[in-house]
Amino acid sequence: MQPGRIYLDNCVTTCCAPEVIKEMQPYLEEKFWFPGTFISTGENTNNLIIEAQKTIAETLGASPKEIHFTSGGTLANNIAIKGLANAYKQQGKHIIVSVVDYPDLLTNAAYLEKNGFEVTYLSSDSEGFISLKELKQAIRKDTILFMTTAVNHTVGTIQPLSDIKAVLDSADHKIYYHLDAGQGYGKIPLNVNELGIDTMSISAHKIHGPQGIGALYQRTGTKLAQLIHGIKRVDNLQTGGLSIALIAGFAKAVELAFSDFETNIAYLRELSNYLLERIEKEISDVELNGPRGEKRAPHNINVSIDFIEGEAITMMLDQKGITVATGSACASEGLKANYVLMAMGKTHIQSHGSMKFTVSRYTTKTELDETVQALAEITKELRNRSPLYLARTKEK
Amino acid sequence: MQYSQKVLDHFMHPHNVGKMENPDAVATEGSPACGDQVTVYLKVDDQTKTITDISFLSYGCASNIATASIITDMAKGKTLEEAKKITWRDAMDALDGLPPVKVHCSVLAADTLQSAISNYEIAHNLKEVPNFGKATIEEELKKIIYPQVGEDIISLKMVKYIGFQDGEVTIDMNIMKFDQWRENIAEEIREHLQKYPEVKKITINFP
Repeated sequence: MQPGRIYLDNCVTTCCAPEVIKEMQPYLEEKFWFPGTFISTGENTNNLIIEAQKTIAETLGASPKEIHFTSGGTLANNIAIKGLANAYKQQGKHIIVSVVDYPDLLTNAAYLEKNGFEVTYLSSDSEGFISLKELKQAIRKDTILFMTTAVNHTVGTIQPLSDIKAVLDSADHKIYYHLDAGQGYGKIPLNVNELGIDTMSISAHKIHGPQGIGALYQRTGTKLAQLIHGIKRVDNLQTGGLSIALIAGFAKAVELAFSDFETNIAYLRELSNYLLERIEKEISDVELNGPRGEKRAPHNINVSIDFIEGEAITMMLDQKGITVATGSACASEGLKANYVLMAMGKTHIQSHGSMKFTVSRYTTKTELDETVQALAEITKELRNRSPLYLARTKEK
Repeated sequence: MQYSQKVLDHFMHPHNVGKMENPDAVATEGSPACGDQVTVYLKVDDQTKTITDISFLSYGCASNIATASIITDMAKGKTLEEAKKITWRDAMDALDGLPPVKVHCSVLAADTLQSAISNYEIAHNLKEVPNFGKATIEEELKKIIYPQVGEDIISLKMVKYIGFQDGEVTIDMNIMKFDQWRENIAEEIREHLQKYPEVKKITINFP
């Protein structure tokens, strides 16, 4: 972590835990071997991979063989979604997703749509939840796949995963259930058996592990058509080489995140509640985006600050050494308002003024105090420059 | 893609910010829905036609605020004729450049300055309200920036044909179907032309 910088963009990526870096070191320097049989070097790596699978499987209620390493969450999503669609296309070619899902799911859905599949896009309510009723109505005889995002990447909404499973099970045929758990893993309990998940993607760098490694959970018996062809080194789903050091680091990060899961989560929730409380106290005309309380992921606060624009707020915070994110079109690569907020029925102004703060276990209340103080000063400054704010005060 | 130090300086500590009491001319361009809105106020010496004071308000991003700051600096003390020659390109050069994708945010400030000058001239009978026609449309299209390269769509020869008849504007564009900015450009064209009461219908054709 850059000394002195306050980093509140932990939903995008997190700093690597020092224990993780230490854990990876030997695998970069000496124990860099790919898996193999009979010779000690290869066996050593076999054992590492088996142990890492076991560590991750335990946190999901899965069996170790159901865990496949990939070079990240996006690849895991691709392998699962395209793999499921192509494996079961004889049974049907209809897929259900929602308009507020993670781009990995939406871009895969769009790709499949162009390649002969039909996709139903469920709508979102004003807090980012999908409707179970709409899901039930969307199910058809040829529906083979439902996919969703466990925790929304913009507003932290936790989808009703168990209730969704009940709806899927009420169909008179099997509908495969894929979960993107990039934001959810390590933040909410995710037991694949209790939730009835068939495939799920997770990522190391969202939980203080290294960047460039993720995993795919594949339920035993669930078929995935092969997406990537090549030599099998580490895994049969993502062929080719995978970094052994990163796998070791991933397992360590999981161990740390789950060693005291409840306490970790309680701390994250305490931080974000504190942040929201302080923002609402210090700054007028602020609205929380997404649900309040237990239905929201513990690390995410997203607010719209009225009358000012988010890119300007982000830039000013950055100048003060604070990293945050905004849903403003002006800060996005495609110059578009945030699609999640728009799908939730927010206005362009609310999207342009939206600020996302995501905390981690390394965040402190002192950092949040500094952030709120800076944010209050910036809001005052930018509102003094804003014709919208001055028009409002004139009205009053 | 980074802002220059000059952009950051003008954004963090902008010049000429604030509402002006009793201005001689004022103009507001842009809309909150599009993510930026700028108001420019002018005080003009009646005899010399010199801009004696100028200020702005901005609901917008760093690039927008920095351009408004520098362009109001540039216009202050100039005659109206001199100030009419200030373009977004001059402002951008004075800011040591802008990331291409942010150029469109800076055009608005320059545009608002020109609108304020025009409003002054119309109010003081120095010019007539111009007739709406193809030339007006072309002037508006010159304010629309293709974000990939930070140049306007007229200079880039992205507009093949402009037509105006019975309240209907027809524009044939030269932007391919797969172009990621196509939708943004179409939306911006509509925003720029909808404000004219003469425009009843806008048709934009793509190849």
